[in-house]
Amino acid sequence: MNELIFPGDRSRFFRELNAILTITARDITLALKSPGVLITSFAMPLVMMGMLGGSLAQNMAEGLSFDYGQFMMVGMMVNMLFMATTMGLGSLVEDRMTDFTQEMMVSPVSRYSIVIGKIFGSSFTAVASMCGTIIVGLMMGITLSLGQLLLILALAPLMCLSAGALGMMVIGVVKNTRTANTALMLITMPQMFLSGAIIPIGNSSGILLVLSRLMPMTYCLDLVRAIVYAGTEDYANVVLFDPRVNFVAIAVLTAACLIAGTYLFAQTEKNR
Amino acid sequence: MEAMIAVNELVKQYGKAKEPSVKGVSFTVNEGEFFAFLGPNGAGKTTTISILTTTLSKTSGSVTIAGCDVEKQARLVREKVGIIFQQPSLDPNLTAEENIRFHACLYGMFGYRPSFALMPASYKTRVTELAEIVGIEDALFRPVKKLSGGMQRKLEIIRSLIHTPSVLFLDEPTQGLDAVSRRSLWEYINETRQRYGTTVFLTTHYIDEAEQVDKVCVINQGRIVLSGAPDEIKSSLRKRELILDAEDRGELINELSGMGLFHRVGEHVVVPYQDLSAQEVIARLQTTLTTLKIQEPTLEDAYVEYLLKTGGKAA
Repeated sequence: MNELIFPGDRSRFFRELNAILTITARDITLALKSPGVLITSFAMPLVMMGMLGGSLAQNMAEGLSFDYGQFMMVGMMVNMLFMATTMGLGSLVEDRMTDFTQEMMVSPVSRYSIVIGKIFGSSFTAVASMCGTIIVGLMMGITLSLGQLLLILALAPLMCLSAGALGMMVIGVVKNTRTANTALMLITMPQMFLSGAIIPIGNSSGILLVLSRLMPMTYCLDLVRAIVYAGTEDYANVVLFDPRVNFVAIAVLTAACLIAGTYLFAQTEKNR
Repeated sequence: MEAMIAVNELVKQYGKAKEPSVKGVSFTVNEGEFFAFLGPNGAGKTTTISILTTTLSKTSGSVTIAGCDVEKQARLVREKVGIIFQQPSLDPNLTAEENIRFHACLYGMFGYRPSFALMPASYKTRVTELAEIVGIEDALFRPVKKLSGGMQRKLEIIRSLIHTPSVLFLDEPTQGLDAVSRRSLWEYINETRQRYGTTVFLTTHYIDEAEQVDKVCVINQGRIVLSGAPDEIKSSLRKRELILDAEDRGELINELSGMGLFHRVGEHVVVPYQDLSAQEVIARLQTTLTTLKIQEPTLEDAYVEYLLKTGGKAA
């Protein structure tokens, strides 16, 4: 056999890392070859934040004890990361339909590396959407400091992983594009409304409260808001949990979704 | 010789199926051997090959590749095998080279780099060499969706061989290929076998492709119904025929009848023979012949006859 550059168990970690990079790079290459996808991802915030958020700000934000514009801007940034990453995972269904998943499944890499690579690959368009949100925010006169932006950007991979892991639990078992599109809507829309992206959830109760606490996006949003509102008067009105609680919740929910999603994906592939 | 593939009492029962698709199949393939796994549609070939390549779980039995269990040591097995699937599994939106690079990096042969130019010289040389051998060097940087079916198949071959696997699984590799492409593909696979001692596991509906293999196994309705070297299988058929004709065909037929030899008359006169040799039959004939051919049974004849005998349908 050919000499491998990552032979033996000692370098297994680097080999898996190389596999994640390879799978991620493929999705980025595909995105760059489809400018339409990138342009749509970039323009999506115009609809989501400019129209939906703008209308809510004008008509429903009166009486709030904090600046709704900034609240909504942070919510939309995280929401766009989640939405675009989850939507991007739909490419896994296309891979299944073109039998490309088989090429990945017979390779000597961990199933987790395949799933994580796909999630990070999907998050490329998500970052484009987040950039679009920042630009729309600027147009609406809502700004964040460079430090805040960098901190949010540093948390972006964790948030994308969290979004992708949740998406994998559904996408992992879907076998056609039509079902995938419906399934993706079922994942993204409730999160947008129940996790506090555009509507404050401080007064949620009953089943809506339970659902919001089960969604990883609730904790991602709250963590980002804790960064943005740190040291301000609005912190207590906007932030729900201690950042450490958020971090632990994100880690636990992401790990659980990733394990379950990867298992479902691998099983679905094994029983094609 | 060490068994490279060892399958013992393999059973696969799909969830809602009434009976198993594979019913206690056992066989071995030795290191460096060229092995053909034949059978009609739905016989259990693809199910078996999927289990051997770790993409499908088995119900019971044991399967090892190069001594590694396909379920307990799946990653080690995957390192040792190369596969050409029945359905193409290329990314149609990537170029041919990008598909190869994806595979090579996924198998840990090279660290990923975002372009061909940035890849190590050893990668570039190997890809260029392989592309020249199979004749797709001009198509290397074109999107796969713009390549013909034959070129896509050749690309899959390069991809499956770039990590020089110990075992190469070919699941109907020449399906949809023209005669020239088929020939060049087999030339390349034979060269690879000679150079690297690669064990080849082939499934095909073109039985003539299995004429040159070391061992044949025929599966039908989930069971192995026939196995052995192609020559053994053909000789067991005992179906040899003389194809004769003469200007005076009536005289020839009279002579054959007089000798008590069964014959069929169609385009030519066909004389099956078993107890006599062809030499003995011809030596007794006085009529001047215009046509004389000895027809040996092909592997396909043997394959079809056995399937019909065991109640199967030919593919």
